[in-house]
Amino acid sequence: MSKPIKKPKGKAKRSVKALDAVTLEVIRNALPAVANEMAADLQRTSYNMMIYEVRDFCTALIDPNGELISQNVGGVSHFVADLGVLIVDGMKRYGAKGFKPGDVIITNHQAVAGQHLNNVVIYMPYFYKGELLMFNMVRAHWIDIGGTSTGFGAGPQVADPWFEGLQLDQLKIYEGGILNETLYRVIKDNIRFPESSLGDMKSQMAACRLGGRRMDELFDKYGRDTILAAIEQIFRETEQKCRNVVAKLPDGVYEASASIDDDGVRKGEPVPIHVKVTVKGGGMTIDLSGCSLERKAGINSRTLAGARVAYKALTGPLDPVNEGSFRALDVIIPEGNIMMARFPAPMAGWSAIVPTVVDTIVAALAKAMPGKVPAGHHGLLGGAVVFFGMHPKTNKRFVVQSLEGGGWGGRPYEDGESGTVSVCQGDVRNGSIEGIELKCPVMVESRALRRDSCGAGKHRGGLGIDMEVSNLVEGHWNFEQTRRTKCPPWGLWNGTAGDTGAYLLKLPGESVFRETSGARLPVPVGAHAIVRTGGGGGWGNPLERDPERVRSDVREDLISREAARDLYGVVVGSDFSIDRAATAELRKQRQGTDQSGRNGERGS
Amino acid sequence: MIVVAIDIGGTFTDLIGFDDRAKRFVEAKSLTTPAHLVQGIIDCIRKSGLAASAIDELIHGSTIAINTLIERKGAKTGLIVTKGTRDVYAIGRGNRPEAYNLLFHRHRPLVPRHLTFEVDERIQAGGAVHRVLDHASLKAACAALKAEGVEAVAVCFLHSYVNPDHERLAGEAIRAALPDTYLSLSHEILREYREFERTSTTAVNAYIGPKVGGYVKSLNANLGGTGFRGDLSIMRSNGGVMTPEVAQERPVAMMESGPVGGIIASARVGQALGLPNVISFDMGGTTAKASLVRDGEPTMAPGYYVGGYASGDPVMVPMIDVVEVGAGGGSIAWIDDIGALKVGPQSAGADPGPIAYRGGGTEPTITDANVVLGRLDPDNFLGGQMKLDAAAATDGIKKKIADPLGMTAIAAAQAIVEIGINKMSLAVREVSVEKGYDPRDFTLVASGGAGPLHVLAIARELHIPQVIVPLFPSHFSALGMLLADERHDFIRTSYADLASLDFEQLVTVHEEMAKEAMAGLRHAKNAELQVHLDIRYVGQEFALSVPVTLAQLKKADHRAIRLAFDRLYEHRYAHSSPDEAVEMVNIRLAVVGKRPRLKFPALKATGKAKPVRTRKVYFDDPRKASVAPVYKRASLGAGAKVAGPALIEEHGTTTVLFPGDICKVAASGELIIAVKAAT
Repeated sequence: MSKPIKKPKGKAKRSVKALDAVTLEVIRNALPAVANEMAADLQRTSYNMMIYEVRDFCTALIDPNGELISQNVGGVSHFVADLGVLIVDGMKRYGAKGFKPGDVIITNHQAVAGQHLNNVVIYMPYFYKGELLMFNMVRAHWIDIGGTSTGFGAGPQVADPWFEGLQLDQLKIYEGGILNETLYRVIKDNIRFPESSLGDMKSQMAACRLGGRRMDELFDKYGRDTILAAIEQIFRETEQKCRNVVAKLPDGVYEASASIDDDGVRKGEPVPIHVKVTVKGGGMTIDLSGCSLERKAGINSRTLAGARVAYKALTGPLDPVNEGSFRALDVIIPEGNIMMARFPAPMAGWSAIVPTVVDTIVAALAKAMPGKVPAGHHGLLGGAVVFFGMHPKTNKRFVVQSLEGGGWGGRPYEDGESGTVSVCQGDVRNGSIEGIELKCPVMVESRALRRDSCGAGKHRGGLGIDMEVSNLVEGHWNFEQTRRTKCPPWGLWNGTAGDTGAYLLKLPGESVFRETSGARLPVPVGAHAIVRTGGGGGWGNPLERDPERVRSDVREDLISREAARDLYGVVVGSDFSIDRAATAELRKQRQGTDQSGRNGERGS
Repeated sequence: MIVVAIDIGGTFTDLIGFDDRAKRFVEAKSLTTPAHLVQGIIDCIRKSGLAASAIDELIHGSTIAINTLIERKGAKTGLIVTKGTRDVYAIGRGNRPEAYNLLFHRHRPLVPRHLTFEVDERIQAGGAVHRVLDHASLKAACAALKAEGVEAVAVCFLHSYVNPDHERLAGEAIRAALPDTYLSLSHEILREYREFERTSTTAVNAYIGPKVGGYVKSLNANLGGTGFRGDLSIMRSNGGVMTPEVAQERPVAMMESGPVGGIIASARVGQALGLPNVISFDMGGTTAKASLVRDGEPTMAPGYYVGGYASGDPVMVPMIDVVEVGAGGGSIAWIDDIGALKVGPQSAGADPGPIAYRGGGTEPTITDANVVLGRLDPDNFLGGQMKLDAAAATDGIKKKIADPLGMTAIAAAQAIVEIGINKMSLAVREVSVEKGYDPRDFTLVASGGAGPLHVLAIARELHIPQVIVPLFPSHFSALGMLLADERHDFIRTSYADLASLDFEQLVTVHEEMAKEAMAGLRHAKNAELQVHLDIRYVGQEFALSVPVTLAQLKKADHRAIRLAFDRLYEHRYAHSSPDEAVEMVNIRLAVVGKRPRLKFPALKATGKAKPVRTRKVYFDDPRKASVAPVYKRASLGAGAKVAGPALIEEHGTTTVLFPGDICKVAASGELIIAVKAAT
C-alpha cells in the first residue's frame, strides 16, 4: 500500500481587503446563481435522459489552482468532488500560458478523472482582461462513449478502460475557437449515438460560455480584486460554518462497517467497507483505509465523493457548495484503495459502492448526532432499468432507461420515505411510464411499492419498488447491479433491516419469475422483467411504534398483518381494528427479546 | 356599464369598480373573513356604495383554491387508475431536489393508498386498446369508494391523453354508481403525457372540487339574492377569466388567480402607453414576484409545483410564469453564525409585523430599514391611519444588526435594503436574462405596497431605463381582473416527427379543441385562437412552445414551423442545430374571448407639482441624508414633473425617486420615471 494521500489544504491566503457586507452577500448569492443557470441551460438543451431526467451532470466554476468557486445544486450529489484535480492536471499539461480564449478541453481519462468514461468533462478557460482567472466546467454523462458503455455505463465485468470505451485525455477539441476536425471525427466514429452525445457536447460548451458571460458581468460590476477577495472570504466563512457544526459533536473516533456482496467478477467474495471518522475540535477526518483494495472489476474509482457527500449532508445540506465546504475535512484514502484505484484499474461501475460508503459514514456518526442520523437507506444507485435494441420497423436503436428509487431509513422522529433515489442522487427523476412507452417498444406492467420491504422500527423504513416491464420487440437487458443481500439496509437503535433489491425475469412460456443477473442478456419478444429495489431500515424498537401507525400501515397495505404481529407486536383484525388486549399481551412477551438492528455504537 | 373586480387576498379583500358612463372608479377594502368568504364579498360590495343590481359584470379572484390545497382542507377523495399503477401517485418521479438533505420530504399524496383502486384496462402509447376496460373491477372500485363515503373521485388511466375512451366509460359508471360525488377525469383536466403529473393535477382538482366548486356555486346564488343580474367571471391562473360553470368543473385552474391579476394589469397599462414589453414587479409583505410581458402578452409556464419543487404537488395547468423570491416588506434581516448579513426568507408578516408597526415584532425587517432611512414617513403610513415607530425600528436595527457588524444603524439599514434589492433583482433577471431577454429592453411596472418603494433601485441594478408606477398600485391585482379577457387553454400530446407529421390529423385535433373551447365561451363573438406546437430536437425532453398559425397547419408548412423553432431555440439558448431532426410533442390551443375594453378617464392637468413638505432621506451615502421633497400623488395632475430625490406618497405605498430620476405624470395617470443611469 502506498503512502496515504490527503486532500490538499487551502492555498496560501490571498491578500484580502475588507469587503462590505452588502458586496460580499451579493457575490455570495451571484456565484451559485451562475452555476445554477449553467445547469438549467444544459438540462433543457440536452439530448439524453441521463442529463435531463437523471441530471447526471454538474456545472462548476473552478479557479486555476483547482479550487471550487461554485457548483450547481440538484443533480448527482457525488459530483461534489473530483473536479479540481482535472484543472490541476490540465494546468500541469498545458501550463498557465497554454490556454487561450476559445479553447475547449475534453477529458474523461481515468488516470485523473477517476470515473466511468461516460462522464465526459468539457471545460473552458475564463479570461478577464487577458488574465486567466478561472475555468467553466461541465461534467456530464454521455449516453454512449463506445466500447461497452451504452446506457448507464458498462458493468463490472469490463476488464479495463479500453474495453469500456473511448479515452480522451485533456484534449483541445477547440483551440482558439477553431474546431479540431480530426478529433471530432474520431469521437463521432467511435460512439453509438453521435447525434445525442455530440449534441450534448454542444450543450456543455454553451453552458460554459454562458458561465463566462455571467462572470464578465460580475467582474465588470465589482472589479477583479473585489471578486477574488470575496471568493476567498466566502471560502473561509463557509469553512467556519462547517467547523461550527462539527464542533458541537463530542470529540472521538467513530467507526462503522458494511459490505457489498461481491465485485461482480469474483462472485461471493464480499467487498468490505470500513470507515473511521475522527472528530476533534471542529475538524473531521474521514479515513477510508479500511475499505477494500482495488479490484479486478469495474467498481473502482478515484474519488473523494463518499466522504464529501456524507460531510456535506451532516454540516450544511442546504447551503451552496464551494471549496470552503470541505476545508475542515481531511480525507484519507491510500493509493490502491478501491476508491483511489490506479490506472488502468477498471472503473466502468465507478459509483456503485459510493452510496453505501456515504451511508456507512453517516451510520458511524449516529452516536455523535443521534437526533439527525436516519437508519440505512437502500444504499444503491437505484434499480437501473436498461433495455435496448433495434426497432424492427424503424431500424433505429432504442434504449429504455430509468432509475427506480428505493426505501430510505426511519428517522429519529418520523418514518423514512419510499421509492426515492439514493444519497448520491438528488434531483434524479425516473422515466415516466408514458414517456418510456412513447419512445420505446415496451410496456410497463407495473410500478408498485413492495409491501413489507421496509425495516421495522418505532419509525419504520420506506418501501422499495417493483417495476415490471415487458418487451414488444426483441432486445437486450442489462441486469447488472451491486447487491447487498449480506448487508441489507440497516436498522438503527433496535430497528430491523430493510429488504434488498434484485432483478427477476420471466421468459415467454414460463409461469414464474426467477432471479437473474448479467449484462446484455438477449430476450425474445414478450419477456417480463422486474427491477426490484430495497427498502429502508427501521429506526428504534418496533415494539415502541404507536399501534395506530401500525394499524394504518396495515390499512394502507404497506405492511401485512403478519408483519404487524410478528415485528411490531400489534394484532390488527380483518376490519382493521386493533385487538388491544392481544397487542398488549404480545408486546409484553416480546419486551426484552433481541432485535436484530444495528445501533449507533457498533459496526456489523 | 359598471364592472367590478373583487380580489380576496390573505389579509384584505380588495374591490375596484369602474363606471363606464360616469367615468368613475370605486374602491373598497375590507378584512378577509376566511370562514365567510361569500358574505365578505357581499359586504365589500355594500361598502363600495354600488348597488348590486347596477353591476353588469363582476370578476372575482380568490385564494380559496390554493388555501384548500395548502391547508389540506379538501374533500375525502378516491382515485381510480390503470392496473399496475396504484403507486404511481405516491412514487412520483422518485427524486430528491435537496440533494444533500438526508431528512428530505417527498410530496404527500392527497389520496391515501386504501382509497386508490386499480381497474383492469390498458391503452398503448399510440392509443390502441391493449386490454378492454374490465367493468367488474370498475364496479368493485365504485362499490368500495361508495362504502368509504368519498366526496370526490379522480380517474387517471395510462395514455388517456391520446385515447380517453376508457376514462369516459369509467366516468359514466362512476356517475351512475356515485351520483353525488365530485368527479374529475384526467383527460378533461390535462391531455398531456406523464402520468404522475397528470394524476397529481387531476387529484388536486378532485380534492379541492367540492369545496371550491361549492363556493363558486354559492357565490353565484347569493349574488343573485342581492339583486345582481350581471355576469360573474372567475379569475384563473392563466391570466384569463372563466364562467362560474367552468370554474366549478376545473377549480384547479383558479389556483393562482390572485397574483396574475397584477401581471395582466401591467400588460394592459404597458400597451395603453405604447410599451408592449414590460416586466411586472409586485412586492408585498412576504414575497416579491416578477413576470415578463412581451408584445403585450404575459409569458406562460406549463405548470408549477404548489408548495415548491422539492416537495410540492405538481399542477400542470398553464399559468402565467411568475418568479417569486422571499423578499417582502416584512422580510427579516438576520446575522448567521459566521457573521454574514442575510435578509429573508423568514417574514414577520402582518402579525407581529415589522418592529415599526408596534404589533409586538422584535426582528428588524426591510420595512423597518426603510423607516430608518427616511423613505417611509412614520406619520403618513396608510394615509396616516397607522403611525410607525421610527425610534423602535432604529433601535432594533442597531441592536440586532448594526452593533454586531460594527456599523451605524443607517449603514445597516442601507445594507438590509440593498441585500433585499439584490434578491429581487435576481428574480427579475430570472424572468428576463435567463430566458434570453435583455431587461434593458423592458419597462419595469411596480405594484404592491412595497413595489414603488424599491423599484428604482432595482431598475438601477439591472440598467432598466424606465419605470412605471401605475394607478392603484396597491390594488393592482383587482385592477388587472377588471381588464382580463376570457381565456381557456387546451393541450393535446401528439407525438410525431415534424418532417412526417400528419397535418390533416393535426388540423382535425385543432378543430376538436376549438369546438370544445368555443362551446363554453361567453365572449365567443370576439374570440381569438392562438396555436402553439411544443417542439424539440429528437432525443431531447424539454420542448419549446412555438407559435404557429392555423394556415400553416392547413398548408402543412413544416418548413416555416421548423424555421420558427430554430429561431426561438437560438434566441433562448444562443445556439441551434438546423440540420437535426425535430419532433412535435404537444399541440396547445389558447382561446381568448375578448371582453370589451374599458376606457379609463384622463387625468386633468393641475399645473406644477407642489411638495407638501420635505424629509431627510438617505439614498446612497449612509453618512449624509438628502433633503427630499414629499408630494401627494393625488395632487399631481397630468404632465406634472417631479425630479428625484423625492418621495411621492399615496394611500397604500410610497414611490421613492433617487437623485437624478425624473418622473412625469402621464395623461392617463401613471407615473413614468426615467431612471438616472448608474455611474
